[in-house]
Amino acid sequence: MNASLNGSRTTIRWGLALTILGLAALVTIYVMALAYTPLEVRQGAAQKIFYIHVPAAWSAMVAFTLVGVVSILYLWLRDERLDAFAASSAEVGLVFSVVILTTGPIWGKPVWGTWWTWDARLTLTLILFLLFLGYMTLRSAVHDPAERARFSAVVGIMGMVLVPFIHMSVYLFRTLHPKPIVLKPSTPSLPPDMLRTLLAGFAASTVLYLGFVTVRYGLARYELARRQEAD
Amino acid sequence: MPDNASYMVAAYVVAAVVYLAYTVRLFHRAIAALRDSSR
Repeated sequence: MNASLNGSRTTIRWGLALTILGLAALVTIYVMALAYTPLEVRQGAAQKIFYIHVPAAWSAMVAFTLVGVVSILYLWLRDERLDAFAASSAEVGLVFSVVILTTGPIWGKPVWGTWWTWDARLTLTLILFLLFLGYMTLRSAVHDPAERARFSAVVGIMGMVLVPFIHMSVYLFRTLHPKPIVLKPSTPSLPPDMLRTLLAGFAASTVLYLGFVTVRYGLARYELARRQEAD
Repeated sequence: MPDNASYMVAAYVVAAVVYLAYTVRLFHRAIAALRDSSR
């Protein structure tokens, strides 16, 4: 068996372990949020959606930022492994985006009175999701590996450019979406019990991202190794 | 305090279903790859 096939097996195994750890951490967040974190007086139980929605948004933005960074590196170094990582991170980012775009409206209905509004933050997040859906479609449509990697790297970089706009959109535009309460220059504006659950949520979501992306990257490396073996 | 616990439950269930569905898909592919490469 060649070295890269062996390497991809090790990567997949590490990814599976990290994913199990991430899922266990997610279960812990569910228990912390539902059983131990106090109810917010004005929003009631719906506010607790925040503990899964915000960490998912964090992981999606990390995933899409990494797609852009790694795509720049790919255009420079032309290493297939970078393209494989970018594709993996984009796919995992889409999974977290589905969580954002479903849990957000479920929170919006009881708190804003509507499932959806064409607010800057929501619209930009939807555009980012569609852009990366296009990224994945592009990858399945182009068969030449070098061309596929080059085209998708350009789309990935464009997606990354949207990420800071999404974060800043609540300051740049008139918007209904709440402003950041942790990822901001001043100290977090949350009671300690709620802050603890939210920070644990960020940690769980990060581990889950790392698990997903490691397995997905290991699979991509495995396919590359198989292709090289066949050639 | 508003009574909207059903929305919270719905959001938690949806998030769990999305994460678990992707986990199953990944694990299925990963186990197939590990089995195939050990042959």
